[in-house]
Amino acid sequence: MTTVETSATKPMRTPNDSPLKIWFLAPLAIWLTVFFLLPLIFLLWIGFWRVENFQSVPDFSLGNYADIFASFFSKSRYGLALIQSLWVAITTAFFATILSYMVALSIAFAVPARWQRLALLIAIAPFWSSYVLRLYSWQTILSRNGVINSVLKQFGLADYRIDLIYTQIATRIGLIHYLAPILIVILYVSILAIDRVLIEAARELGCTRWQAFTRVILPLSRFGLMTAASFAIIVSLGDALSGNLLGGGAGTSIIGKLPTYASMIMSDYSSSTNLPRTSALATILIVVMVLALAAGFVAADRARRRTS
Amino acid sequence: MTNKPQLPKDTSSQSHQISRRSLLGSVAAGAATASFGNFTIFSRQAHAAEPLRVLCWPGYEEKDVIAEFEDLHKTKVEFKIYIGGEQMLQFFAQTAPGTFDAIISDAEYVQKLKANKAIEAYKTDGFAELANYHPKFRDFAPTKGETAGTVYGIPTRFSFYGISYNTDEMSAEQAQDWNSLLDKKYAGKIGMFDWYLPNLGNASLAVNPGNQTPYAINDDQLKKVKEFLTKLRPQIGMFGSSNQPIAQAMLAGDIFASPTGDLDIDLKLAGYDNFSSTIPKQGGIRWQEVACVCSASKNKDLAMEWVKYMTSPKVQSKLVYTKAFKARGPNMKIVDYWDDDQKKLLSYVPDPANPGKMLVETLIDRSMPRGLPANQPEQAWIDMFNEFKTA
Repeated sequence: MTTVETSATKPMRTPNDSPLKIWFLAPLAIWLTVFFLLPLIFLLWIGFWRVENFQSVPDFSLGNYADIFASFFSKSRYGLALIQSLWVAITTAFFATILSYMVALSIAFAVPARWQRLALLIAIAPFWSSYVLRLYSWQTILSRNGVINSVLKQFGLADYRIDLIYTQIATRIGLIHYLAPILIVILYVSILAIDRVLIEAARELGCTRWQAFTRVILPLSRFGLMTAASFAIIVSLGDALSGNLLGGGAGTSIIGKLPTYASMIMSDYSSSTNLPRTSALATILIVVMVLALAAGFVAADRARRRTS
Repeated sequence: MTNKPQLPKDTSSQSHQISRRSLLGSVAAGAATASFGNFTIFSRQAHAAEPLRVLCWPGYEEKDVIAEFEDLHKTKVEFKIYIGGEQMLQFFAQTAPGTFDAIISDAEYVQKLKANKAIEAYKTDGFAELANYHPKFRDFAPTKGETAGTVYGIPTRFSFYGISYNTDEMSAEQAQDWNSLLDKKYAGKIGMFDWYLPNLGNASLAVNPGNQTPYAINDDQLKKVKEFLTKLRPQIGMFGSSNQPIAQAMLAGDIFASPTGDLDIDLKLAGYDNFSSTIPKQGGIRWQEVACVCSASKNKDLAMEWVKYMTSPKVQSKLVYTKAFKARGPNMKIVDYWDDDQKKLLSYVPDPANPGKMLVETLIDRSMPRGLPANQPEQAWIDMFNEFKTA
């Protein structure tokens, strides 16, 4: 038997062919189980408990959900808060994604290659500071006697004072400041993946800069844009800090002076010894987030198929 | 005795396997203890020394407050700090019975602790300092025990949810009336603490002036409370999850007043003299912390000594003037330990309107302790507050 014959009957095995490779997934599986799945299951489970004498008692009751949905548009009106949350989250995601996309584009195309890493580092620098501190800073900037209005007053423009604090616009500003560094990274990576030859080809075939952008760069960025927007929506839906500190707990928007859903969960939790009800409220938010994520995945997948 | 793994004396193969397994188990347990040690509340050393363990709001743990007790009883007091009654209940529920010897609780949460069988009543005999307490704190209304002469908690610190206001925007006369908050010029300029209990209690007093039991109202009275809140809603510019954002909003001029009370103390200390606070003539809500002894404590005598210690005016004078927090003490002799600035700041000065009384006594007389809804489910009041917020 020759060596050639042996290799023909026994193909060479690579580590990828080893059944042991499954074990390399163990750390990921353990991590997800311990820090994500188990706490999530526990949260879902508590949602079915009941409260007796101010104590949570294990049970399998739908009472919490029945109560919550019965007061979804009356009494506590959680539904209105959820609509406010969705409105704030979707608009925040829209503006945060556009802003971050412009920054990512300018880093990728306007900054010389050797300076791009530094530019990216500067763009994401706010991420290294405390989120709460950033919100307090915005409070100082946006408040009635804050930086912007003080400057306007100095220039004799006191009549043009802006009243953004304790509105959902202020909530969005806080959220966008929080989200932008992360979105910039996501979008910069997706722009880097675009084959420059395609852009050059478009330009050489007579496309203007704008046409090259709308016909090549933008379609090829769709997947990154959808991913970034989904991420922004989910984070915005779950955030209560910006809504509380800048939005004033029930900031004004075109929908009305309503708190966000996450803010209501926080408030309900600190108001009553009713962990099961709070867990049920949180579960509803998780379901909405999963739906948003699923919609994002579908949109991103369609975008990828169109461009591939 | 320690839990260190012991190497076996037997050297047979079987015992080797068992001991290796038990050794590995012990090592793993030890490693886990070391890894998660930071998450436990008390150190092993602390367990060995049997210190007094107290679950409390911030302030009680400050050295000025507790050092004398530790020196006197040659012991160590360890504190687990919580922020908010619900967090207190969670901490208590998450620890083994006997972990805590004493709890500082908001007076109305005593009811919840009792339901959890967490605390037990104790006799007030021997608490000589109670004679110096303001009479309103000697009736122990929210914390009375089932038998005469017993209580579940003795007050240690209190303050008010009256109106805090910017004196450039609201006069002292206006601040004397809850209805002033409904004035159109304050539309969007009122800040509110985001918690139903004090706000609905104050609203209850606004529509039923002088009611000594603002949380024990009938459904018709509750309807009036709702009507008052509906009128108040357009006036609210922001809800704060704690005092800090509300004080910040007052300072920034975003709001002019808040039914949160006492915000002026910190603002005055920071050098802003254009803030004040009072309790409207209809009455206002008063919060008060009480010292409780845990049922499962193995250190009850020392816990009782600590409760006694907390009733002394000297200790209270420091407790209510800590770095963390400024409040008021129920022992009226507290003034003997303060300078004039402290007395003025905390209203322990003569009240010009009530000769022979200190201003703080007038405010105490006008205030009612925060409680839990007595005639309706708690959730009904929470729903009403949420409806007010989402209106």
